Amino acid sequence: MPPTSDSTRLRARTFRSMGTVVSLTVASGHYAQTAVDELESATAVVEDKFAELDLTFSLYRDGSEASRLARGELTLAYASESMQDLYVEAAEWRLATEGAFTAERPDGTLDLSGIVKAHAAREAALSLEALGLRDWCLNAGGDVLVSGSPRPGTEQPWIAGIVDPQDRQSLLGAYPMATNRALATSGSAERGHHIWGVGGVRPEFDQVSVSAGDIITADVLATAIVAGGTRTLDQAVGKWNVEVLAVRRDGTLLATPGFRKAA
Amino acid sequence: MATALASAGILLAGWQSGAHIADTGTTTTTTSLSSSATSGSSGTSGSSGSSGSSSGSSGGSSGSSGTSNGTTTAATYDGAAVQTRFGTVQVQVTIQGGKITEVTALQLTDAERKSAQISSRAAPVLRSEVLQAQTADVQTVGGATVTSDAYLTSLQAALDAANF
Repeated sequence: MPPTSDSTRLRARTFRSMGTVVSLTVASGHYAQTAVDELESATAVVEDKFAELDLTFSLYRDGSEASRLARGELTLAYASESMQDLYVEAAEWRLATEGAFTAERPDGTLDLSGIVKAHAAREAALSLEALGLRDWCLNAGGDVLVSGSPRPGTEQPWIAGIVDPQDRQSLLGAYPMATNRALATSGSAERGHHIWGVGGVRPEFDQVSVSAGDIITADVLATAIVAGGTRTLDQAVGKWNVEVLAVRRDGTLLATPGFRKAA
Repeated sequence: MATALASAGILLAGWQSGAHIADTGTTTTTTSLSSSATSGSSGTSGSSGSSGSSSGSSGGSSGSSGTSNGTTTAATYDGAAVQTRFGTVQVQVTIQGGKITEVTALQLTDAERKSAQISSRAAPVLRSEVLQAQTADVQTVGGATVTSDAYLTSLQAALDAANF
């Protein structure tokens, strides 16, 4: 990626968390060393936030609070406030999506992993704002949350490419992240982890991308539409201010106007 | 499904009242044809009408090439707009040989209109109709979650490396 202008360039740092890789990209016109210091301290703050939430919510750590809940050693009434809050939020989304999004596995195990990554991105954004950073792009394993512009001081939006699920080395399309700062994508291949088709039916969509004003809405609805199919897609675009790009199993696309080329 | 059947019944009711009120029938219709159609609509032809509504205008086109026998010429009628508890309904009915061969909704119920609007908001598109971009044009890549290992060969990794 070449510099975006003479005085600005993008700098990125990455770290591993929650089974994937998180990238933070910052647009800065500062002197190189200042910008690098700023980016590295911001990355450290974001990484700490992800690590903290991963410790609490990951089911693959036996000692995590989520694992103790899943084993019945702890009940929700005695869980931490952040666990209770996220469970309440997930339950509200389950109602709002008529069950297409759920934080319970078919066997009844509590599993918030479908919402934890987005929650971490939301918390990280608060930290970045508190640090005074204005122009950044956070990519948490394919879910994107942005602020400002890749060219600070301009209206130019961050542009997110959307990967082609049938050829992950190419892009299906692009989405300018102007009014909607968040973009989340779910795939039916993830189903084993956190997407279960409603009624055990094989999902209609291979991949669903949803852009929204906040990362939780985008993430939850992308997951819900993979699970609930066209019915949930129609419900989501009628009920929330979101844009959707869905890839059917045969590779054909469904798109709301925001994902279409300007006529 | 139950709603669709109820709507079909209302569509026919709308057509019946429309046949009397609007009387906007076209082409070569005889009174006897019209009355036989009305009597026919009270029975099983109602359900055949509902299936006809989804099959486009084929009934009309076959009517235009109607046979020499006057009683089998197809005729279409626009019903009156009728207020129902499902919203406003108006239908067009094609009659041929004394039977309803097609029922087309000219005006949808509010519920149907809403679903049409919703589906037009997320419509099928060709890949060429989606905003295109090359990796060089984007600052980040969205996609279904990849594992840490899969990240190494991803487009996002290439962008991150370029900006490191």
